[in-house]
Amino acid sequence: MLAYTFKRLLALVPTLLAASVLVFLFVHLIPGDPAAILLGDSATPEDVARLSREMGLDRPIYVQYFIWLGNALQGDFGTSVFFRTPVMEVIAGGAETSILLALLTMVWIILLGIPIGVLSATRHGTWVDQLASGGAMLFASVPTFWLGLYLILIFAVWLGWFPSSGFPSIHDEGGLLNLRYLLLPSMTLAAPNAALIIRLVRASMLDVQREDHVRTARAKGLHPARVAIKHVFRNALISVAAAFGFTFAALISEAVVTETVFSLPGVGRLVVQSILRRDYPVIQGVILVIVCLYMVINLIVDLAYAWLDPRVSLK
Amino acid sequence: MATIGLIWLCLVLFAAVAAPLIVPFDPLDIDPVNRLAEPGWPHLFGTDHYGRDTFSRSLYGARMTMFIGVGSVVFALATGGLIGMLSAYFIRLGNFLMRGIDVLMAFPALLLALVLMTLLERSVTNTIIVIGIVYATTTARILFGMTLKLKREVFIDAAICSGAGHSSILFRHILPNLISPLLVQASFIFAFAQLQAAALDFLGLGLPPEVPSWGNMLSESRIYVTRAPWLLIFPGLLIILSVFSMNMVGDAMRDSMDPRFKDDIAGV
Repeated sequence: MLAYTFKRLLALVPTLLAASVLVFLFVHLIPGDPAAILLGDSATPEDVARLSREMGLDRPIYVQYFIWLGNALQGDFGTSVFFRTPVMEVIAGGAETSILLALLTMVWIILLGIPIGVLSATRHGTWVDQLASGGAMLFASVPTFWLGLYLILIFAVWLGWFPSSGFPSIHDEGGLLNLRYLLLPSMTLAAPNAALIIRLVRASMLDVQREDHVRTARAKGLHPARVAIKHVFRNALISVAAAFGFTFAALISEAVVTETVFSLPGVGRLVVQSILRRDYPVIQGVILVIVCLYMVINLIVDLAYAWLDPRVSLK
Repeated sequence: MATIGLIWLCLVLFAAVAAPLIVPFDPLDIDPVNRLAEPGWPHLFGTDHYGRDTFSRSLYGARMTMFIGVGSVVFALATGGLIGMLSAYFIRLGNFLMRGIDVLMAFPALLLALVLMTLLERSVTNTIIVIGIVYATTTARILFGMTLKLKREVFIDAAICSGAGHSSILFRHILPNLISPLLVQASFIFAFAQLQAAALDFLGLGLPPEVPSWGNMLSESRIYVTRAPWLLIFPGLLIILSVFSMNMVGDAMRDSMDPRFKDDIAGV
């Protein structure tokens, strides 16, 4: 297992390097002088020339890449054009919101996805199953921003139960109660993902139900609920656990839309705003950080999957 | 359910084709006197903040839905499918090409689309290309696995023995076996492409703002959600119904598919 983990980690390096080349080239692919792009429209030609020298744009492109990569590995992605502060600080500023949003979303996904999926599978073919499966498919078909806008309209504007936008840090006044700002956003983000988990739990439970050991358990007269929980659900959980991991990794980028709808000060909204502001150092930094996170989470999920299910070959 | 889905999709297709003939108003006609009119007669779905007829714009939106859906499907299947098949068939080339796919897949889907859109101008073609690239990666990976499986089958050996060339084996012996999984894949890409395109429109990075697409209609009228909630209901429901129908059709196709490939198609 240790050797396998090491091998997988090692395999991650070339992919990450290639991804970093793409992220680096991204600014150079935009037509025009990168220094002029970075400084924006208000820059004078002298400013542009000075920054070009500072950035080493007069050197060969591969030298530029290695300098950029060297700095990035030390957490230095340069300075934000918009905020005039280091990119890493800007990203760190959005981290709290995004992490809390993702965690709260996962709570919803687990609370809704597992029970409804199990119910749907144990009542296979009945109206309960059809309602749950159909409902899940429906929620998987809803654009998240549309759902978010109507949740704001109903629960924030009409009923006034929850705040409609923004998120003060939990370290500010209000403390943990500030999490109520994330209730509607997390429900919005959870809806399509919970729907996928429901379908997956149902499908893998139905798969396991057909296996011999389940028939044996039933034949020896175990209570149906006990068979469903101990024999079917526990086995089905392996692939579901992996899906939770992948969902969590995907939430990082899906949060882009939700954070924009609810005006949350998170990393996702930072991506969109930086794109609209043409703040390229921030775009590069955020994307590289997200890609690293995404790949690491996916690797952890893969390893956990191999560890949970001894049938997965470690080749 | 799949039948109802198919009927709905046919209606959308009809609206897309016949839009110029059946719309009661020009979708771009501005009528400031009648802005934000409630649904009724003559404006079935009401009017937007410029007084444009929402019903006519919705019908034209069906066109964009079909353009984006069919365009991304064709692009994703053609490029991704070819990369996947060639990679599995010429495994040395595959080692190289599939690593490239791995790198693209290191970017979460929506993020990849956002980055690519930054490099390109907002236009219908570019939106199709960007969404096409995103789903070409998954298509390539799926087809890579399937072609590897097919390559080991006896009928391929027989074809080789009877002197068939590479292109004949690839396109006359392997490709026909991949048609049904490709169709299933196409239906899911079509559904996801709608949601992605709507999300890009909403973020201001999709189709040009003047194009009457369902995503743009939602994006433009979001600030009127409290004053004129109906402006968001109709385009929203149209997107939901279309994506839902396509998913239903895809599910039904997958259930009736070749059992050899059941595990390969993700779909969810």
